[in-house]
Amino acid sequence: MDRKQCCVKLSVQPSRGLMDEKFIVLVQNALPGSQLTIRALHQCEDGHSWEAFGHYTADTTGTIDVSEDPSIRGTYSGVEQMGLLWSLRPIPGSKPGLRMRKKNIQTPMEVTISVYQGHQTEGFADLVPLSGVVVERWYMAPGVRRIPVTEGGLTATLFLPSGPGPFPGLLDLWGGGGQLVEYRAALLASHGFASMAIDYLTSKFTMETGKMVDNQYFETAYRVLQQHPQVCGSKIAMIGLSFGTSMTLKMAIYSEVIKLSAAVCISGSHVQPVEGSVEEIMGFFQKNAGKTRFNEKNEAIWRDLLLPIPTDPSLKADVGRLQCPLLLVVGEDDQNWPAQESALDIKEMMARAGNSHLLTVLSYPNAGHLIEPPYTPHARSSTFKTVEIQEKVMCLWGGQTVEHSRAQEDAWKKILVFLRENLYGGRNPTSFSHL
Amino acid sequence: MFLLSRKTIMFRAHMSVTRIWQLIEKRMMSCISVHGKLPGLQRAVGEVRRKSSFRQSPLLTATPVRALIDEQISIKGRFLSQNYPVTVCAQMHSEEGDLWEAFAHYTTNASGSINLTSDHSVGGSYVGCEPMGLFWALEPALGSREGLSLRKRNVETPYMVNISLLEGHTSPSEGQRTELAAVTTERWYMVPGVRRIEIRQNNIVGTLFLPPGPGPFPAMLDLWGEGGGLFEYRSALFASRGFASLSVAYMGHKDLPGPPHIMSVGDSYFKSAFQLLQDHCQVDADRIGVIGLSFGVVLTFRIATRSGFKPSCLICINGAVGSPLLDEDGKIKMSESDQKYWELDDRGYVSFKNVSLPDNLPPESKQKVENITCPLMCIVGEDDLCAASTENADLIEEALRSAGKSHQFTRLSYPGAGHLIEPPYTPCARASLWRAKPEKLFALWGGHPAPHAAAQEDAWKRILEFMETHLRR
Repeated sequence: MDRKQCCVKLSVQPSRGLMDEKFIVLVQNALPGSQLTIRALHQCEDGHSWEAFGHYTADTTGTIDVSEDPSIRGTYSGVEQMGLLWSLRPIPGSKPGLRMRKKNIQTPMEVTISVYQGHQTEGFADLVPLSGVVVERWYMAPGVRRIPVTEGGLTATLFLPSGPGPFPGLLDLWGGGGQLVEYRAALLASHGFASMAIDYLTSKFTMETGKMVDNQYFETAYRVLQQHPQVCGSKIAMIGLSFGTSMTLKMAIYSEVIKLSAAVCISGSHVQPVEGSVEEIMGFFQKNAGKTRFNEKNEAIWRDLLLPIPTDPSLKADVGRLQCPLLLVVGEDDQNWPAQESALDIKEMMARAGNSHLLTVLSYPNAGHLIEPPYTPHARSSTFKTVEIQEKVMCLWGGQTVEHSRAQEDAWKKILVFLRENLYGGRNPTSFSHL
Repeated sequence: MFLLSRKTIMFRAHMSVTRIWQLIEKRMMSCISVHGKLPGLQRAVGEVRRKSSFRQSPLLTATPVRALIDEQISIKGRFLSQNYPVTVCAQMHSEEGDLWEAFAHYTTNASGSINLTSDHSVGGSYVGCEPMGLFWALEPALGSREGLSLRKRNVETPYMVNISLLEGHTSPSEGQRTELAAVTTERWYMVPGVRRIEIRQNNIVGTLFLPPGPGPFPAMLDLWGEGGGLFEYRSALFASRGFASLSVAYMGHKDLPGPPHIMSVGDSYFKSAFQLLQDHCQVDADRIGVIGLSFGVVLTFRIATRSGFKPSCLICINGAVGSPLLDEDGKIKMSESDQKYWELDDRGYVSFKNVSLPDNLPPESKQKVENITCPLMCIVGEDDLCAASTENADLIEEALRSAGKSHQFTRLSYPGAGHLIEPPYTPCARASLWRAKPEKLFALWGGHPAPHAAAQEDAWKRILEFMETHLRR
């Protein structure tokens, strides 16, 4: 082996970062002009291996800086500082339809980043790298406290930031798959928000009684959060993705108890029977299940279930009555929900009602349904089971990886700004066109 | 610029090679009392809380929130009132359970923000623009035991440092303090993937740190001072920067032969240590350097000139070319040097500096530094009260010049820095407990907090660059 290549140095800074933090990957001391491959490898909790790689050429000083130099080809190309993370994909031979989601957020995601001689595309397991480092990616900052919540029959987890508080609060809702999904709430707490992730579809109550929760369930969650001594009761927001959007809008507009300072709705719709319970809203979607389409890969497309956007006001949450700022995040290639069409209709309704100064829409071409915190892999489709359908289906979420990853990065940044300005800042509610 | 009783301008250590005439001596209380006399500053103690500070919740952030000891952390406060006095405070507990604190006074800008990377502290544990001041200016809390120093034993866990934002210009010891926000940071000596391996073979007592990855790696042999024991933290950091590193204990360790205050091992011991690195399958046998601090410097020179090994580079921090303690085989011949060269201050703290003045060293103990065959970096704290570092560096420089080896010599000289030039952003102990029996003795290290901190920061960077140049290229 060439002596000089022995001394190739790889470093990643920071070596322990938050999931949404950028890192700098640097290769030094390589032979100038040499061809190298930088590769990331991660084994997720369910045992599957994911990898990403880029092909680089060392410059005249023998250096590669991933934040400045282009990858010629690989799972990503061009100058992509975080490409090694967002372009991760299951290694060849893996089961189809995988999606990476961390369950235990008290431990970090560990990624091994290595540099190899030459431009390699496969068989990494049989190659000896020139250098390798291990990087930790955390959903929780040090000092953030994780508190399971069962009060009032809730199935929820509260994440409190470090410090005395009081902190603004956040209710965090996911979609039709149910479960208690904690990672976004943990990350938001790491940014200073007391965040409560809520399981409202597969809660202990539902699993034991077979019944869906009612509206009071969300109001209980709100009350528990509001009454917490370290939460600023007058600064509570709600964030929902997919079906979580339906619940968020419902509570923001119609609840007598819940008074939100802001709402974030990602990849969702306002189309729902206005007087409906959770069960009835679910039922409404199920009724239209016949509109499911399948693409050539037999992946299910559910976006038509709510189309066309109804004109009947009893079938749409009355966004004209909203009194808090609303941030809508839309992937224009969303194949699961008609988020874009809904956003347009919401805009019209609010313009007519005179409260459109409250609305901000972030719309991303070629982004799909699952707009999540950044620097995690994009799943264009994956196996999915809603609480209504008992068997797993290959669900098409949509999105093209590069644009989807950019959308996640941009949307997350803007979500944090929106939440900070509405929950920390003392401003009057207004739209955030500067976003 | 406000007036203090001493000259106040502090320069950063990158100007160290130029003579610096004015130093600031940072004493917490004098800063605060001077400040109290200046007009226009509000004292927070006893002040009625203004309602406006409640309208919004302040936010304090630190990035990265998990950092290596030698990485800078950027601390910002937002959503505060405009042009408002605040205090940023750092607190942590040492492994021994002592509370260490630092604090600084800032004023928010017109947007209600502070940013420690660019703003200036106007009082407290440090003044001026010091992004890492909260870490290097840490001191034992009032009421602590005397002579404490912060030296991490367990390098596999981080220091947890709590940073808080307090209302007004106050200090941790003052009773009335309103905490506005806080953030917890972790400071690590090891990156993920570094392997820590206890070495108890070939009679060696040490710890080996290997970087993550397949290797082979360039390596360092890491030697500390006469205080004894086994200090791993510098080696852990070297491994985190891609160098295999072996710290060895040579006295004051339960696994070593002989009484703790005597060095019962000699030259052959260090040869074994060097050999262990050479023989290790993940170490590049031709790229091994040696670093020594204090008494470790003499040992470094012995290895470089007498062992038969050829290190690739040497780094010597605040040491001497010889020692009255060593016999021909490199073992310690008496328990403590002749005390005639000891100097006691008015507290009874001892400066060992004169022991190692070249004129006071037994001629036969001086190592033949002109025989070294590799690059040498000599690091000197000009306020070193424990070793005659400057005088010995002069001697070394002259010896190498006479031998036509000046091109191998690099000197870094830091005004205001003391004896223990260690990895950056850690506090400087001007004195600490040297031994507890037969009676307590405190040793003087020298060094003033701000220039010593600047020296540590600059020296560490230069040390790593020196290692990169001579061990990796």
